[in-house]
Amino acid sequence: MAGQGLVTVDQTLCVGSGMCIVYAPESFDHDEHAKVVALDPMGDPLDAISTAVEACPTGALRLVPQEQEA
Amino acid sequence: MTDLSPPAALDRDRIRELFDLRSSYNSFSGGDYTDDPYPVWHELRARAAVHEGTVHRLTGYPGEAMFQGLPFPDRPHFSVFGFEACDAAFRDSETFASSPVAINPIGDDVGVMNSMLSMGGDQHRRYRALVQPSFVPAKAKWWIVNWIQETVQDLVDRIAGDGRAELNTDFCAAIPVLTITGSFGVPVDQALVIRESLRDPAAVVRILAPIVAARRESPSDDLISVLVQAELKEADGTTHTLSDAEIYSFAILLLTAGSGTTWKQMGITLTALLQRPEVLAAVREDRTLLKACVEESVRWLPTDPMFSRHVTRDVDFYGTTLPKGSVLHMCLGAAGRDPERWDRPDEFDPYRPLKRSLGFGGGPHICLGMHLARAEITTGINALLDRLPNLRLDPDAEQPRYVGLYERGATEIPVLFG
Ligand code: HEM
Repeated sequence: MAGQGLVTVDQTLCVGSGMCIVYAPESFDHDEHAKVVALDPMGDPLDAISTAVEACPTGALRLVPQEQEA
Repeated sequence: MTDLSPPAALDRDRIRELFDLRSSYNSFSGGDYTDDPYPVWHELRARAAVHEGTVHRLTGYPGEAMFQGLPFPDRPHFSVFGFEACDAAFRDSETFASSPVAINPIGDDVGVMNSMLSMGGDQHRRYRALVQPSFVPAKAKWWIVNWIQETVQDLVDRIAGDGRAELNTDFCAAIPVLTITGSFGVPVDQALVIRESLRDPAAVVRILAPIVAARRESPSDDLISVLVQAELKEADGTTHTLSDAEIYSFAILLLTAGSGTTWKQMGITLTALLQRPEVLAAVREDRTLLKACVEESVRWLPTDPMFSRHVTRDVDFYGTTLPKGSVLHMCLGAAGRDPERWDRPDEFDPYRPLKRSLGFGGGPHICLGMHLARAEITTGINALLDRLPNLRLDPDAEQPRYVGLYERGATEIPVLFG
């Protein structure tokens, strides 16, 4: 399980494809406009979350480097 | 919504006639191609990042084949076969545009060329945003309960007592088109008319027009109601509701993008499972494995293995200068077997770690209907496994093969059960 600080979300880039939800369904969801929201806490293993981030077709998700988080 | 299936309308002979496999592998998209293109694609990918020419010519297909980005005989054509280059082109939709011309959807022209598929930038975002909420993963249940489940059960009813069936035409073919027309509020007998006239927008519009008018009067819980109520934000901040022409173009886009694709991908997935009895047995035991099988099928053998973009400025792309006005073909079929991204790429292995492929495309135009397609394929295959015990390929019939160049799929899928 990971905290929300792990991933940044840019709703202006999100087209709502739902690719992140395919790979990390316990960590991402959509609001009513089909824009991504990151769940807190994120309920998937770290590798599923990074697969989801990489899968975003429009680069709306970014992994926050761990050092910066501290 | 439950008035969808007057049983007589789904008559098996009528379905066979409408979804004839031979005519569905349209010769204009390379339907008579029966080789395995993957060895050539591996070679091409290894030889250079960017090749001059179209995918069908580079693959050794002698005829003319049509698809997105073709034929444009007066323009230079380039093709890419690696995952990274295909992905990069999909993502950079400013340099690599979906249409050579600007799109004006408000006029009277109805068709796919006037839909979001061909738009770019902000216009594409605004149109797509109207419908994306109806196609998110959370809506899968809405689709299944209202439009998928009943069609699927009805089709299984028709074969369950026979002990044998041909699943590609008798099962897979009709599910996607009936799902989409169901969501429009079109009854089954008229849905089959729509199927017959997919290449005749005027005929489709004749069926949709009274429904659109009725939903404007009083909306219900279906897709046309979503469209008549949608408000499009213009760049200047004003809003307008969609015109009838815009709704028809979108409806036709869904029909053309969502019917043949899902049909063939379901047939590909089923064939892959039936030809691997140990995987089929594992799925039968643990249905959660089906999700990975669908993902793997879309990576391993995507039904539409090539999409194209129009180059909007001179650009250096993986070492080759692509001039403005040229056409770039992304062979996402080859990208799905890029050894840089997948070990043993030619193996159908649903146990490999899940990872995005480009079978549903990439960048801002990534498939709108992918979660719906997944829902149809899993609902369909689950119903077969639930209701047809000991489902297996018929060893005495001709075994299924994968055919087609730009629209790939299985030939007949003859099975026994019980
Ligand atoms: C397994 C079945 C399917 C496959 C393999 C598939 C594949 C694709 C691909 C590769 C694209 C990208 C095209 C491009 O970049 O130019 C696409 C776009 C699209 N697909 Fe699908 N598709 C499938 C099912 C569906 C279904 C069921 C629907 C809807 C009912 C649908 C609707 C669309 C639409 C509307 C677009 C255009 C999206 C845009 O331009 O933003 N597809 N599809």
